[in-house]
Amino acid sequence: MFCMLVTKSMSKLYFIFIFLLVAHQSIVHAAPMSFKGSTTNMTELRKDYFSLESSYASSIKESFGVKTVKAKGDGYDITSGEIFYLRKLMRKNTINSQANLWLFTGAGFIDIKKNNIKEHYIYLSPTLQFDYETKRIYGMISHQVLRAGHENFDVTKIEGGFSFYEAGYNEIQPWFILKTKNINSLNNKIKYTPTFRIINKSIFMDTGVSTDGDASFHLMYTF
Amino acid sequence: MKKIILLIAVLSLSANSYALIQKIEVLGMVCAFCAQGIEKSFSATDSVNDVYVSLENYFVAIESKDGLDNKFITKVISDAGYDVRKIENFSGTMNQIRIENEK
Repeated sequence: MFCMLVTKSMSKLYFIFIFLLVAHQSIVHAAPMSFKGSTTNMTELRKDYFSLESSYASSIKESFGVKTVKAKGDGYDITSGEIFYLRKLMRKNTINSQANLWLFTGAGFIDIKKNNIKEHYIYLSPTLQFDYETKRIYGMISHQVLRAGHENFDVTKIEGGFSFYEAGYNEIQPWFILKTKNINSLNNKIKYTPTFRIINKSIFMDTGVSTDGDASFHLMYTF
Repeated sequence: MKKIILLIAVLSLSANSYALIQKIEVLGMVCAFCAQGIEKSFSATDSVNDVYVSLENYFVAIESKDGLDNKFITKVISDAGYDVRKIENFSGTMNQIRIENEK
């Protein structure tokens, strides 16, 4: 019953969610969480994929958040909403690098439409993510287990790239990142997206076009 | 007029002489977007006058009235996700640090 109500009012929820995101001061960030007491907002927008999430870091190792996803592909049309708990399992800092291992545990509902058949499920979904970064090199790998009924929507992402030059704290730093992503059931092939990234201390911007010609744009700003 | 200017200069120098600069070597500070958490946290501390972050040389410099407690500095840095390698007092000025770092 709860799932049905949430699904029917999904469009209203999107507007409320977006309003809440822009209406308060927050830290938006590329990593799944920032420093203690910060709020992290992230969004990904493509022709066939939209996600929006917001989380609050209660400590340097833990955060709590909400996430919504709308995606299409291979005859499927899915909408999901979840609350999640994020735990930093490991952080290794050296003088010129950092490495992180993260565990997300999400719980929510998913609304699946295929061949005019609509199904609703409640799910529990763990994600493991590892990232490594220096001032010149970046790499990330993550795998999310997402099963609903007989369906498998597991998500695998691998990203890697380099910066064109080393930048100071107040300078703009350009990066080239190759992003790869696969969502089981929704697309049976890996999506490759060469991406141009610009970072400075307030702005984080990604612009890319996948090998299928699907454009993506990602802008984050720190208030 | 010259005496007034001289007096103002002496007073401002003596005010600066009470400020203490601490230079902190930080581990894992590789990105400006991530490191701004450190700058924001120290800037929000009452006794802090100035904060300077150097990604090039992996340090943060803080100018404060009487100097910050090392435990407090370590906590702020670790709350931002980083580790402290070394904390030392710097006898020069923040401008000297900026100029030397940006050479």
